[in-house]
Amino acid sequence: MNTVAITTVRRESLWSKAFYKFSRDRTGMISLVFVLFYMLIAFGVTLGWLATDWSDVQGGKWEGMSTTYWFGTNMIGQDIFSRAIYSTKTAFEVGLVVALIATAVGAVIGAISGFFSGTWIDEVLLWLMGVLDSIPFYLFVAAIVFAMQESPYAMHVAMISTFWTGSSRLVRGEVIKLRGLEYVEAAHAIGVSELGIIFRHILPNTTHILLVQATITFVAAIKSEVILSFLGLGVKDGMSWGLMIAESSQEVMAGFFNNFLAASVLMFGLVMAFNMFSDALQDALDPRKVS
Amino acid sequence: MPMKFLLSAAILLTTALLLSGCGDSQDQGNPGSEVANLKVYRHAMDQAPTSLDPVQAANVYANFIVLNAFDTLFSYKYLARPYELKTNLAAAWPEISADGLTYTIRIKQGVHYVDDPAFSGGRGRELVAEDFIYSLKRHFDPASRPQGAWLWSGRIVGLDEWKQAGSDYSAEIAGLRTLDDYTIQIKLIKPYPQLLFTLAMGYSAVVPREAVEHYGREFAIHPVGTGPFRLTSYDTSKVILERNPNFRQEPVDIEFEGYDPQRHGFSGVAAIDGLSPPLVDRLEINFIAEASARWSSFTKGDEVQYASIPNEQVDQVLASKRPVTLKPEYAEKYHFAAGIEAGFVFQTFNMDFPEFGYNEDPQRERRNKALRCAINKAYAWEQRNESFYIGLGKVFPGIIVPVAPEFDTNLSTESITRDLAGAKKLLADHGWTPENLPPLVYGTNSSVTARLMFEQFRAWMKELGYPTEKIILKRFATFGDISKAWKESRLPFVSKGWGLDFPDAENTLQLFYGPNGSPGSNDANYRNPEYDRLYELASTMLSSPQRTEIYHRMNRLLIDDCVSITGLARTRIYLWHKDVIAIPDREIVGGFFLRYVDIADTEQPAITGSVFR
Repeated sequence: MNTVAITTVRRESLWSKAFYKFSRDRTGMISLVFVLFYMLIAFGVTLGWLATDWSDVQGGKWEGMSTTYWFGTNMIGQDIFSRAIYSTKTAFEVGLVVALIATAVGAVIGAISGFFSGTWIDEVLLWLMGVLDSIPFYLFVAAIVFAMQESPYAMHVAMISTFWTGSSRLVRGEVIKLRGLEYVEAAHAIGVSELGIIFRHILPNTTHILLVQATITFVAAIKSEVILSFLGLGVKDGMSWGLMIAESSQEVMAGFFNNFLAASVLMFGLVMAFNMFSDALQDALDPRKVS
Repeated sequence: MPMKFLLSAAILLTTALLLSGCGDSQDQGNPGSEVANLKVYRHAMDQAPTSLDPVQAANVYANFIVLNAFDTLFSYKYLARPYELKTNLAAAWPEISADGLTYTIRIKQGVHYVDDPAFSGGRGRELVAEDFIYSLKRHFDPASRPQGAWLWSGRIVGLDEWKQAGSDYSAEIAGLRTLDDYTIQIKLIKPYPQLLFTLAMGYSAVVPREAVEHYGREFAIHPVGTGPFRLTSYDTSKVILERNPNFRQEPVDIEFEGYDPQRHGFSGVAAIDGLSPPLVDRLEINFIAEASARWSSFTKGDEVQYASIPNEQVDQVLASKRPVTLKPEYAEKYHFAAGIEAGFVFQTFNMDFPEFGYNEDPQRERRNKALRCAINKAYAWEQRNESFYIGLGKVFPGIIVPVAPEFDTNLSTESITRDLAGAKKLLADHGWTPENLPPLVYGTNSSVTARLMFEQFRAWMKELGYPTEKIILKRFATFGDISKAWKESRLPFVSKGWGLDFPDAENTLQLFYGPNGSPGSNDANYRNPEYDRLYELASTMLSSPQRTEIYHRMNRLLIDDCVSITGLARTRIYLWHKDVIAIPDREIVGGFFLRYVDIADTEQPAITGSVFR
């Protein structure tokens, strides 16, 4: 009697491999902890647990660091630490909204463009992306923000209007690759509609690209928000690191750097952590590296 | 390799030489060049004027240039404070009829315009009385896009009717005519004691008709006048004016101009006694928006010779604030003058908004008044002064500014003293709760300072119990945009500044005169019959204790009605290089002092400075 050895082969998906790889990436994990810490702060501010006194005038003009005011006070006696913490919420709110919507819009348009590549639909969408990309970014954003001055979401609209093209181009390329695969041809053969093929069978297979692209867009949105707020085109009623840096442009002449340092250090920390997180995620999700 | 190196070096050297040759050697003032021997005064201002046409000289920036390119019938004594009028183009003080309604003004003979292609043969012709009539008529001709008609509207016989009839320059006006080439006669509808002040303003500067017609709209950048200087170039960064060779010779009598050795001796201005203005060959007026950039240009050398101290530099520059003194290293290099501005900053409610002002329901109107008074009581003027005006501003009650001769020194300071408990009680007594308080839209420009001012105001209101979300920020991109919103009565709460056009409290009291409501200067749209009656009564009175008392009553009415949160007059601190012989002061007199500016051959001895007002 022959004995047959039965071995169980564990099936590994792209996601489980990526998770394993990411969890082994020390830089990625540290950056993730930082990002989560910032996210907790943002939630705390949103829920009214942190920095509720960001707009109060409590201290004297330009007070130094103390146990009461960790980063001192600004020109009108507001607590710089509270304002810097509150600005984390602004950065996360703008980053999340812009990253999610711009990536989603880019994914849909990119998928359609890629699926219909070589047709007039693709031509029109490529032309639209080309036009938007050819306009200098900050001029374009400034124009939209200026035109929508009354709206608190002008900055969001402006960024979404320009950031989706990057995701779109990436997804388009991936879809062109995927639409020639056998499973797509099979779907055609059994009569699945074109939209069904795009949204049920192709687009889900671009998720790894979208995830990485969303993190890149998130960082770009935060940086743009700070720059626009610095220029007076960003946050309307609230606080932002950009506004704090704009305030500090008068203060540094007087030798008072707390506003500038608080905003710069917090922004640097978040942007750096998110960049490293994004890099690690990209490495983990890259099919060529995941094996 | 060495050959390549030599070739590169030769190319670099040639390029550097070529580039250096592209520079304006005149501007560099190189020794030996023609301009190096000229006396050049370089002034700095924060904004450029949009027009140099006197009919559009609506702000201090335009007046600064206009009063140097053109001339007015009257002007102010250079150094006398309080400000005193003197004759300028007028040959003598006017003859005024017994009823105060007819002014006969003789003008100087032999005054010539600058040479310009607009004139026959290119030679500037003599200024005649008809030029003044023409210049004033332009304010009532819509084609000129004038901004100064409010000064004479309803004042001069036939002038408003002339405008209504189509502004035909060939038509005579009964109240504005010439008796001969050198005599002007003005007939008033009712006495107008401030008339002579208006004839010292840039708006009344005399222009030649042929130049206006020759340049058309471009007259705004081609001033042709009889002033001490003539314009040679004008762009958004700089105006250059050169001495007008045709300017009349009138030696300075420094005693007559109000010279006081105690107050002015440090500046060396006594040295200009007997000299005929203008005293420098060239004026360069640089427009540098950023205070830090102006300061940098001022301190790095002779790039500009005049600047005010940016707020953020005050602690580095001043040794003490009261009195203002400079640290030795600055006192050694610069003269300075410090004084209260001839104007003020204030906030006012727009009474046309039923949420805060007039209301059909009398009970609600009473509650609105309580609300306004509570906001006023919660306003912390001293804190604002410390935050934004380096603690040197003068906070005062009412709207009669400290430099006005009619300033009320005995007025109670209750309206400018913060009383948060009293404010809260007032709200509670009149049934105001956080739930029923109306939203307050706070309009401001988009600058960082304006935003911080808003945040400070909102924080005070939060302390009062006003929900933060009900204090709404509305930003405007430019001053023009927010000014338009005021004029169109679109904002319930107005924050603004006002500079006196002439040294008379009437100039600020008119800001609340009913008929001046939007789009006029009464942005508050305040309509109080008693106030208006007193204004009309005082408007025909000459300066007197009786008129001053009326002014004081009007001031108290405004305070009692809590229509305005007022006010603060800023302290100006000006510095200038020690080789500049001058007392710079642009309050009221605009750029009039520039004709007296001189440049010393050697540096003046170090003196610590003086307060000029």
